[in-house]
Amino acid sequence: MSDSYRPQVVDHLVRPRNTGEIDDASGRGESGDAACGDVACFTVAISGNVLEEVRYKVYGCAACIAAGSALAELVDGRSLLDGARVSKVDLEGALGGPLPAGKEHALTLVLDALHKAFEDHWNRKAGESLLEAQGGQKTGNKSVVAAMSGGVDSAVTALLLKEAGYDVATVTFRLHDGERGSRSCCSPDTVLFARDTAHRIGLPHFTLNLKELFDRRVMQDFAGSYSEGRTPNPCVACNAHVKFHASSFLADELGYHHVATGHYARVEEGPTLARPVDESKDQTYVLWPVPRDLLSRTIFPLGEYRKTEVRAIAEERGLAVAYTPESQDICFIPDGDYRGFVRKKVATKPGDVVDREGRVLGSHAGVVDFTVGQRRGIGVSAPTPLYVSEVRPRSGQVVVGRKQDLEVRKVRVTDLNWFLDPEEAALVQVRYNGSPVTCAVEEVAEGGWVAYLGEPVIGVAPGQSAVFYTGDGERVVGGGVVARKSS
Amino acid sequence: MTDPVYLDNAATTPLDSRVLESMLGHLGGRRGNPSSLHAFGGSAREALDEARERVASLIGASPGEILFTSGGTESDGLAVLGLARSSDPEKRHVVVSCVEHAAVRESANRLLSEGFEVTWIGVDADGLVDPAEFADALRPDTALAAVVWANNEVGTVEPVSKLAVICAERGVPFHADAVQAAGRVPIDVSETPVSTLALSGHKLYGPQGIGALYVRDGVSLEPIVYGGGQEKGLRSGTQNVAGIAGFGTAVKLAQEEMEDRVTHERSLRDRIMAGTAEVPDVSVNGHRERRLSNNVHLTVSGVEAESLVLFLDSLGYAVGSGSACSSGGHKASPVLLAMGLPEREAFSVVRITVGKQNTLEEVDGFLEAFSTAVAQLREISPLYAG
Repeated sequence: MSDSYRPQVVDHLVRPRNTGEIDDASGRGESGDAACGDVACFTVAISGNVLEEVRYKVYGCAACIAAGSALAELVDGRSLLDGARVSKVDLEGALGGPLPAGKEHALTLVLDALHKAFEDHWNRKAGESLLEAQGGQKTGNKSVVAAMSGGVDSAVTALLLKEAGYDVATVTFRLHDGERGSRSCCSPDTVLFARDTAHRIGLPHFTLNLKELFDRRVMQDFAGSYSEGRTPNPCVACNAHVKFHASSFLADELGYHHVATGHYARVEEGPTLARPVDESKDQTYVLWPVPRDLLSRTIFPLGEYRKTEVRAIAEERGLAVAYTPESQDICFIPDGDYRGFVRKKVATKPGDVVDREGRVLGSHAGVVDFTVGQRRGIGVSAPTPLYVSEVRPRSGQVVVGRKQDLEVRKVRVTDLNWFLDPEEAALVQVRYNGSPVTCAVEEVAEGGWVAYLGEPVIGVAPGQSAVFYTGDGERVVGGGVVARKSS
Repeated sequence: MTDPVYLDNAATTPLDSRVLESMLGHLGGRRGNPSSLHAFGGSAREALDEARERVASLIGASPGEILFTSGGTESDGLAVLGLARSSDPEKRHVVVSCVEHAAVRESANRLLSEGFEVTWIGVDADGLVDPAEFADALRPDTALAAVVWANNEVGTVEPVSKLAVICAERGVPFHADAVQAAGRVPIDVSETPVSTLALSGHKLYGPQGIGALYVRDGVSLEPIVYGGGQEKGLRSGTQNVAGIAGFGTAVKLAQEEMEDRVTHERSLRDRIMAGTAEVPDVSVNGHRERRLSNNVHLTVSGVEAESLVLFLDSLGYAVGSGSACSSGGHKASPVLLAMGLPEREAFSVVRITVGKQNTLEEVDGFLEAFSTAVAQLREISPLYAG
């Protein structure tokens, strides 16, 4: 292929369309930086979800200037949804074909700037309301906002919904700054990748900046929990306050009915959560805090599929995400060193390791390093293995005991979110990888509920979720947070 | 539209019709291999001898000190790698300036990977090497030093005579890349004690793909190409006879016409400098006086180089860009960075180089196109608030 520019590119360079900046824009986005040599800036005027005016400026090579011009011309006057659907391929088409080798970055750069302008528009609209969005709009149409992380599950979710006849808009959340980007000047790779995937399926894509919300509701809570002797579950916190609220906000703004994610679970009448077809991927344990009114508009298409089928679908449709590895750890701690993360966030001070009678057995560097049920790293030698049975942040004591000392038959649960009548609660799961055990529940005067367990359970840690299931184990009755021992 | 105007003569010059004429006899008709003993070979050999004499004459060398190569890059590579590899094994140090052509810079990097130590000599804001700093960098174990005679980007003419003398006094072989300087700056190796000197044909209205390396008598070089032992064993391979004949003619013309050419180029260059200075936020890079007669190098604030070059191209003016934009983002010129230009400004440079064929009318037309292009690109630039 020739390395010189097509006449369309030169035409856009010499006679650029839609140049300039809108003074009172609804959104402004900039991508690239002067040090990397290209900067694109888009301003948009949006009214009633229509791109009434689109203007751009570019400092950069001819490819960037032409791509900016062609993109502005393509989306000007169209609906926001159509604008958010314009892909690199569409842009190449408008430029007469592929750009010379090595210039493809121009397409990514100008699209990123336009999408950041959309993002800015949503941020301005949302303000504080995004932080506490609640579902409301139910127009009954077959339309859905699908959250897209860039992984295989969310990509197939969006694809299945599209094939089922839904109008689908996809959304990726900016949650924290730890995401990898191959270029410091553009959005992180995950955002670019999710956008590419959405566009390849032919879907509009939006980005919402939730960093502040995520920091307040998830990351600070995560770090704070350890210093308070609780064992947090950040996925639960995100589902409780972030992901579903933000999707719902966007759905309301677009006049869309449903929201969807790539979780493995099912929504049944009630609404309540039910176990998915692929029990090995079951995520009902982390979905219990989704508020009822949000769950009622939620679709989990993957609840009907096995993971192997999901991968096969992605492969069959040629989605590059089919080959991405399974995401495992906490998303904002990519190296998995969550102790290190916590230590950076909160001050720690040394304290004593004591037995159940209060005798000092040794010392430790900080309570943040301990969680109930932990065996490793206690630093005290004993004839039988020792386990952490309690963390007392106030006195700085870490209480250790033998395995049988950790057995619990009664768990107090607070912050409950019931989907069904609490009387239906017959089983309870208190650890992410644990199995449900039989239980009886009772509301208590000191607050929350108490679950009396049918058999002793080891390593019940304050801060973890307790999720109640129906007798057949199939449906979630409700869930809550394991409380500290009232001592 | 009228014919496009070529103002990128530092990249390559047009082929002089007299040069073309002198090559034709070697391209068609009777052709011989200069190494052959028969008459066919003899006439090819004569052409080589004649060209060798002309090249030697341009720089004050004797014909036996000239060997032909495929161009400036090969000459630089042969000199830098060849000097280093043939030096005393104890000498593992190389001194190179930060404003070298890529041919010297990358050869030095090659030596670095072979275990040599490289000292890079910095330059001032005008791109000039400081002889004192250069002298300080030389060591007993220095295998060679190399400084470009005149830089190919900003056109600054280096104090090569001084540097060569310093090296000669210290017994360090010295290489000078004179590809841009030859034909514009007087070069006399009988006065300037360089060990090796690189020349190229296509910067002097000669053919592309031909160059020469001057190797002073007694200087030893390790070849980089092996074979039939042509060019005193330093550059094996049957010679490019037509190219060499053309090169010889080009060199002869350059010597005869140097004064007129330089005077003409200078008048055009100064007109461009004056005209572009009227456009706001445009500044000249490189030394104002110690500068090649054909070179104008500008920073155009707020405008990216490639877009400006292509914009001017669409208006019918061909100029050079100072940076290359690729998938890995832009690569700023190491020469400009060495001169202390901020990275961002190093993306906003153009090089305008005139030649003997350019006219004042063309320059005036260019100045108009330049101000149009700059104004329009600044209009859409988020980095220009003029």
